[in-house]
Amino acid sequence: MVLTLTTTSTTTIRQYTGGLKMDMEDNTTVFSTLKSFNSFISHPEPPKRHSEQPAGSANLQINYKRSMELLDAAERVQSKSQYIQLDQEKKQMELSHKRARFELEKVATDSARDLEREVDRNQDLLGRIKRLEEKVGDAAKNLSEQSGNNKVLRKNFDDLNKKVLERDVRLNTANQMISSLHDEIRELKQTVQNQDCTISTKNLEIQSLQEQLDLQRRRYQEMSQLCQSLQSAQSSCSEHVNKIKELERRLSLQEQDIALVRTMRSEVARVQDLDKEVRRLREDNAYLRESRENSSLLKEEVEGLRRKLERMEKTNEDLVNSELEKERLIEKLQAWENLGQSTGLNIRKPEDLSREVIQIQQREIALKEQNYTLSSRVRSVDRSQSQLQGEASQQRSKALEEQKKRETQDALVRRLQKRVLLLTKERDGMRSILESYDSELSHTDYSPQLSKRLREAEDILQKTQSHHLEMEGQLTKAQEESGTLKLQLQSVELELESVRKQQSSVAESNSGMVIEEVLLLRQKIEDVEGERQRLEEQNNILEMRLERHSLQGDYDPVKTRVLHLKMNPTNVAKQQRQQETEALREEVTRLREHLRSLKDAGPLALQDDPHTGSPGLGLSLPPSQEVLDLRKQMESSEMKNKRLKEVFQRKIQEFRTMCYVLTGYQLDVTTENQYRLSSVYAEQMDDSLLFKKGSSGIMQLMETEFSKTLGEMVALHLHHQKSIPAFLSAVTLDLFSRQTIF
Amino acid sequence: MTSTLKGITLKGSAELVAEFFSFGINSILYQRGIYPPESFTRVTQYDMSLQLTTDGKLKDYLTKVVAQLKEWLFDCTVQKLVLVITCLETNEVLERWQFDIEYGCGRRTKSIKTIQDEIRSVIRQITATVTFLPLLETACAFDLLVYTDKDLMVPEKWEESGPQIIDQSEEVRLRSFTTSIHKVNSMVAYKRTDSA
Repeated sequence: MVLTLTTTSTTTIRQYTGGLKMDMEDNTTVFSTLKSFNSFISHPEPPKRHSEQPAGSANLQINYKRSMELLDAAERVQSKSQYIQLDQEKKQMELSHKRARFELEKVATDSARDLEREVDRNQDLLGRIKRLEEKVGDAAKNLSEQSGNNKVLRKNFDDLNKKVLERDVRLNTANQMISSLHDEIRELKQTVQNQDCTISTKNLEIQSLQEQLDLQRRRYQEMSQLCQSLQSAQSSCSEHVNKIKELERRLSLQEQDIALVRTMRSEVARVQDLDKEVRRLREDNAYLRESRENSSLLKEEVEGLRRKLERMEKTNEDLVNSELEKERLIEKLQAWENLGQSTGLNIRKPEDLSREVIQIQQREIALKEQNYTLSSRVRSVDRSQSQLQGEASQQRSKALEEQKKRETQDALVRRLQKRVLLLTKERDGMRSILESYDSELSHTDYSPQLSKRLREAEDILQKTQSHHLEMEGQLTKAQEESGTLKLQLQSVELELESVRKQQSSVAESNSGMVIEEVLLLRQKIEDVEGERQRLEEQNNILEMRLERHSLQGDYDPVKTRVLHLKMNPTNVAKQQRQQETEALREEVTRLREHLRSLKDAGPLALQDDPHTGSPGLGLSLPPSQEVLDLRKQMESSEMKNKRLKEVFQRKIQEFRTMCYVLTGYQLDVTTENQYRLSSVYAEQMDDSLLFKKGSSGIMQLMETEFSKTLGEMVALHLHHQKSIPAFLSAVTLDLFSRQTIF
Repeated sequence: MTSTLKGITLKGSAELVAEFFSFGINSILYQRGIYPPESFTRVTQYDMSLQLTTDGKLKDYLTKVVAQLKEWLFDCTVQKLVLVITCLETNEVLERWQFDIEYGCGRRTKSIKTIQDEIRSVIRQITATVTFLPLLETACAFDLLVYTDKDLMVPEKWEESGPQIIDQSEEVRLRSFTTSIHKVNSMVAYKRTDSA
């Protein structure tokens, strides 16, 4: 019972403690209660121990006391727990109080914030109110201003009204003026109408006057036509006069011609002599022409001969070349012929050579055949060798197999022998046993059985012996066979070696002799072929050349001749050409002489032409009047030019001398845009100033020896004052002063 | 003209060849412009239209030469006929039309038609060669040269002359035709123009 109480109390305590985990004070109270409880529990134990031995009834009382004490303790514990509970509730209440306070505080803060916000809003609103008040004040000001403006505008309006009234008054006056003007216009219109009438009358007058004008014009035209006819008549008259003059001139010319004719008649008498001379000259001409033709023919002959010469020279050269070639070929031939002597063969003609070559070729062929046969033999030998090798290998394998068989057979034999021994021993043993049995037992009817057995055993023995003999025989046979095979192998190997040796020996023996010959022959053949190709090429080239030449028209002068007609178109054309050229040349010379004569004669050609008419020209152009007029104009213009030039020169000279005298400087233009000034008072002839006109039109002073001496004046007048006239005048003053002093 | 029974005779062949020469020379003269084209008239020969000159002097000259050629062809003494074109200003040879004549045995019988076809193709080729020959810009004249055997007697009005070979020439071989007695090979050589 006590224990259960304690457990219940502890459980209640634990329950309470479990509910109050937050408060340390509660735990401590719990621990303190537990301690007291434990101490209480432990306290009754010693008395328990002390009172183990007394009687059982005292125990019951003690137990009852103890249970009462325990109950008290439990009640105390319960009360304490209740106290604790109340404490806890109080604390909870405090907590809740605190929470409520927190919440209140929060609410307070929130409300404070709201308050602040409200305060701010208030302030904003106050500010807005102020601004609005200000705006109101401004609006009131504006209003007042506007009212002022309104008043001003009203005043203006009144003024304008007054002006309008004045204008109305003026309009009325203007209207009155207009009406008066209209009256005036009516009067003017009337005057205009009057004037129109007068105009119409005047137009009629004008028409009549125009008709009179037309009449006058017609008369004028008639008069002008009459004038023109008069003028034409006058011109025809002048023409007639000119014609008369011309005719008079012709008459004069004819009179002159008559005079000429008279003189000609005198000359005609000389004609006969001239005829003779002409005939002689013609004969000479003909002779000269013939000689010229002959000369041309001769020239052609000469040309032909020259060409023949050239051809001959060419043929000569060709001859020489061919002779050289012939010599070369002869040398070659000799070399070829000597071949026979050099090689020791009987060679005199190329046929022998070819024969020899053929023989050599045949020998070569034979040798080749031998070679081929030998090689075929070698191949066959190789093949047989390979076959034998194969067989040998087979035999070896067979021998190995036989050996193995023999060994197995030997083993079998040994085993059999052992078995035989054993069997014999067994037999001996059996026999001994049998004998013993026999000895032991009686001599009964076992002997025929024994003898049968004996016989059977002996038969078996014999069989085994014979079998053994057979096996031995087979073994020996196999051994013999392997021995023979080995012998065969050895013999074949020996053959192979011998064949190989033969081959090598054969090869060596062949190469020695034949190859040398073959090489020599091959070389010869190559040389011969090379020469043949060269000769063929040369032949081709020569044939090409020949064909080319024949295409070009070359020919063998020994066999062929080139002919053509004497009067062939080329000759004719050439002659014509020559004649044309000669005629042209003659004309050219004639024209040149005429030109010269015309230039030399000039204005005198008019009168002297019939007399100076150059003989042989045959052209005497009478100088026309136009030419004379033009010549006169030319002369007059030339005279004018000359006079103008003289006048210009005089004027220029005057001007220059005046400039020199007045300004004291002589101006010369040395080159374009360069002007040389030389002063009157210059100490030396060479002293001069050079001015150059720049591209921009500014005059610049150039360096001369004289200008170097005037450095100060240059600096002063040109650089500072920038005035050339001042500089020049300073220079003249300076020179003048120098002159007067010295 | 020719006995058509067994083929051509020597005389007939000579006439055919001479006729070919006369027409050939005329066409060369026309094509190369040696004479003005107005002086030529069109005729039909060998089934084609050819040009023949109407210039009297030229005709005389050609008839003389062709007649003599016929004689020589009959005698088988002529080896070549050459038409040489020379420039009159520089006197140098510009073109050379050469016709080689070879003599055959005349065993093969050839009909006139085939011979005429061959001649036609030769003349056509002559006309075609004009396309690649250089222009003859200067005034030119021509001459006919005949290569004959040396031992031949030179007839009256004929004289010996040089071969008039062109230096620096290009040669072109043209077609040939044969009458089985005479075989005529044609070729043309012209002076190389240095601009090429």
